[in-house]
Amino acid sequence: MLEESSFEPKIITFCCNWCSYAGADLAGGMRLKYSSNIRPIRVMCSGRISPHFIIKAFQEGADGVLVTGCHIGDCHYMKGNYITAKRVAILKELLNFIGISPDRLRLEWIAASEGDKFARVADEFTKKIKALGPSSIKNISFNK
Amino acid sequence: MKVLKNEVETLLKEGTISAFLGMKQIKGHANPFLFTHLDDLEHLTIAEARYPLAKIILKIAHKYADHHLGIMVRGCDEKALIELYRNKQLDRSKLVPMGVACSGELAEKCNCSKPYPSQFIVGEAREISFDRTTLEKIESLPLDERFGYWINKLGKCIKCYGCRNICPVCFCEVCTLEDAPLIPLGKIPPEVPAFHLSRAFHMAGRCIDCGLCEEGCPVDIPLRTLYRKVREIVEELFDYLPGEDKEVVSPIQILGDGSFEIPEGDH
Repeated sequence: MLEESSFEPKIITFCCNWCSYAGADLAGGMRLKYSSNIRPIRVMCSGRISPHFIIKAFQEGADGVLVTGCHIGDCHYMKGNYITAKRVAILKELLNFIGISPDRLRLEWIAASEGDKFARVADEFTKKIKALGPSSIKNISFNK
Repeated sequence: MKVLKNEVETLLKEGTISAFLGMKQIKGHANPFLFTHLDDLEHLTIAEARYPLAKIILKIAHKYADHHLGIMVRGCDEKALIELYRNKQLDRSKLVPMGVACSGELAEKCNCSKPYPSQFIVGEAREISFDRTTLEKIESLPLDERFGYWINKLGKCIKCYGCRNICPVCFCEVCTLEDAPLIPLGKIPPEVPAFHLSRAFHMAGRCIDCGLCEEGCPVDIPLRTLYRKVREIVEELFDYLPGEDKEVVSPIQILGDGSFEIPEGDH
């Protein structure tokens, strides 16, 4: 078993083009220091994030998945983040039932002006995943 | 039984329906059969067998869009039809459902809470409450044991697609489960649990809890338990039960008119 300090989780972060990616950009522009465990993937809208992306990320060995998008009401495509909210809510329950901690999946609304929030969420989530330990999906022998 | 036969005979004779999808006794076995001739009706049976008749009628209705068709419906078939109407796969005005209430034996075997359609001409309505024992047993396990349980079960999968093929509410022409980048080809068992999670997610707001998937599974994966849970999740979150005859849209289908909003907070 890896010690908590030596375990560096892989966290896939989906960022929407219009708000949260700009938020991440701002965090960089503000020279904020935040966890380097997150691996951002830019998508046009959080509504583009199919549940399969999240499932696949876990399957490929992600220890956590962070889904970020515009605040409700701010979506560039009007209603894209509504469907994201529903999907994530269902998926969290489903993951829990199948035996994967629902805390490994997190949804956050981050606006383009919230660079500090992006940095804070990244740090918080990394800390949480470190506490949870490596994802058990990586240990399934017949997937290798 | 006799009632059903007479009713179908009248409708066929009148020309109200061009064909009737029911079950025919062939060499001692009940098989789904499309009745077009009156002579065949003497072998019409209800039996204790279940087939995804709603799924079969889908193909026939697409091919013969101008015809009115009759179909034998059990409680589960009716729920499937309602979901297909809702998803605009079938035209309600073109179908003539003939209700059949299931026998107590079949209802108990299926663990069915509503073993009869809204209107039926054969059998009698029985109230049986759904037995949640298996579901509760899994729910009560600690997280890591639950994971072990599911990985053990799902790891047996031979990727036969039987669960999808038999599912009466699976109607897409292009299936995500055949999307090579998502589900690698030629790998048995498929990626566990991604394969089953993907399908389970697709059952959200759709599964009518008929249990044919589990009956059809050659390696006895408790699929119904998994999809039943998804059904309960959707009910809990959005107060939506697939298969109910109401003028509502599935919460997963619409981008959001506000009616199924999830409050902000710690998601």
